[in-house]
Amino acid sequence: MIDMYLLYFLMIFAAVSAVGVVTFRNIFHGAICLGAMLLGIAGIYLIMGAEFVFAVQVLVYVGGILTLILFAIMLTSKIADRSILQANEQKTVSFLISAITLFVLIYAIVKTPFTTVQGPFIVVDTARIGKSLFLNNILPFEVISILLLAALVGAIVLARKDIKK
Amino acid sequence: MITVCVSYMFNLVSLFDLISNLLLNVWMNIGLPVILFELIKKFVVAGVMFGLLSVTVMFLIWLERRICARFQSRVGPNRVGFQGFLQPVADAIKLLAKENIVPQDADRLVHFLAPPIVFTAAFTAYLCMPFGPGLIALDINLGILYIFSITTLGVMGILLAGWGSNNKYSLLGGMRSVAQIVSYEIPLILSVLGVVMLTNTLKITEIVDAQKSFFDWFIFRQPLAFIIYLIAGTAELNRTPFDIPEAESELTGGYHTEYSGIRFSMFFLAEFTNMFMVSAIATSIFLGGWHGFGFLPPYVWFFVKCFAVVFLLIWFRWTFPRMRFDQLMDLGWKALTPLAFVNIFLTGIMIFIK
Repeated sequence: MIDMYLLYFLMIFAAVSAVGVVTFRNIFHGAICLGAMLLGIAGIYLIMGAEFVFAVQVLVYVGGILTLILFAIMLTSKIADRSILQANEQKTVSFLISAITLFVLIYAIVKTPFTTVQGPFIVVDTARIGKSLFLNNILPFEVISILLLAALVGAIVLARKDIKK
Repeated sequence: MITVCVSYMFNLVSLFDLISNLLLNVWMNIGLPVILFELIKKFVVAGVMFGLLSVTVMFLIWLERRICARFQSRVGPNRVGFQGFLQPVADAIKLLAKENIVPQDADRLVHFLAPPIVFTAAFTAYLCMPFGPGLIALDINLGILYIFSITTLGVMGILLAGWGSNNKYSLLGGMRSVAQIVSYEIPLILSVLGVVMLTNTLKITEIVDAQKSFFDWFIFRQPLAFIIYLIAGTAELNRTPFDIPEAESELTGGYHTEYSGIRFSMFFLAEFTNMFMVSAIATSIFLGGWHGFGFLPPYVWFFVKCFAVVFLLIWFRWTFPRMRFDQLMDLGWKALTPLAFVNIFLTGIMIFIK
C-alpha cells in the first residue's frame, strides 16, 4: 500500500523534474533537474524490485554521466548566462518531430496488450543477469566494449596536444 | 539473570525483537493498527541508527584531533568533559548557533541544495552495512554495489557546492575533488571485485560469513586488493596525501569555503561519516567484519576493527606530505588501476586452477 503511494510520488517527481530540465533557463539548474529525474526513475526501479538496475542507474547515470555533464557546463565559459537563447531556429521542425514521436509512443502504449500480474513482483537476481550477459549475449557485450574502447582512444587522440613539436 | 543479560548483550537482535514485541503488545492493547506500528518502527530504527552514527562520527572527530596533536607533540582538546571527550558536542552547538552566511552573488538554490545532498549520500550508504549478525537495516543482494552507487551521489553535492558558491576557490576545489573521486572510484570498485569473485556474491553479510576464521580474512587472500582499496579509499575521502581539493595553502578550504554555520557542519559530518564508511567497508570485506576471537560481542569486534582502520587513515594524514595533482592522477591511472586489473586477472587464474 505504502509502496503504491511511493511509486506514484516518484512518478510525479520524475515527470516534474523532466519538465524542469527543458524549461529552466539556467542550464546548470536544468542539469540538476536531470539528476533529480534520474534518481526518481532509480527509485521506481527499486520499488519494483529491480535492485541491479537501480544500482547501475545510480552508478552510471547519476555518478557518471550527470557528473560529466555538470563538468562540461562548469568548464564552458558563460554557458549559464541569461543571454543565451533557449531555443534555436528550427522550432517548427523539432516541434513536428516531437509531435510525431509523441503520437507514435501513445499509439504503441494504447495498442500493446499489457498483461497484469497478480501478487508480488518477479525479482530477477543479479546472478541471472550476469549469466545471460556472459553466456548467451557475450557477442553483443564484446562488440559494445570494442566500440567503447574505440571511442575512448578517439577521445584521447582528439584531446591530446601534439608532443612532437 | 546475569547470564541472560550477557546473552542479550551478545545477541542484540533478539534484544531488539524482545523490546519490539513488548511495545507491539502495548500498542495492540490500546487498539491501534499494526501497519502504523511497523511504519513508526522503521522511522525509530532509522532515527536510532542516525543518532548512533552521529555519536560515532563525533567520537571520530575527537579522536582525529587528539591523535594529530600527539603526532605534533601537542596536547589537543582536553578541557570539555573527560579528556576533551565533549569537545565535538561543544563545537556542534557553536556551529548550530552561528550565522548562516550566503554570498551575495551565489546561486541560492544550488548553494542551498549542496550540503543536504552530500549529507544524505553519506548517511544512506549505511543502510546495507552489517554491524553484527543480523544488525543490518536492509540486507539486499547487491550490498556492495548499493553502497558504492550511493556514495557517488556525494560527488554531485560537491559539484553543486563548488558551482553554487560563486567563488573561484570553491569552483576549483569542487572540480579537483570530483576529478579525483571519479578517477579513484575505478580502482576502488575493481579492488573489491576480487573478493566478490572469490565469494560469488555481492551481499555483504555473505562476504562476512565467508571469513569465519582468522586465516580466511580476505586481507590474507587478497593482500594486493586491500592495499589498493586503502590507497583509493584515502583518495576518495580527499584526505592527505590526497587532499589537493581542499589544500589550505592554495585554495583556503576547497568546495566548502563559502559555507558557514549548520551547512558547514553538514559537510564536516559527511566527511567523517564517509571516513567511517571506508573503514567499515574495509572491515567487512577484508578484515572479517564482526567475526572476532570470542569474549567480546560481535558488534564490538566490528567497531574495534573499524577504529583500527580509522587510526591507520589518521596516521596517513598526519605523516605524509601532500601530493601534486599530476602525481595524484599518475598514481590513480597508471599504477592503481592496472594493478587492480592484474589482481582481478590473478584471482581469475586462481579460481580456474582450483
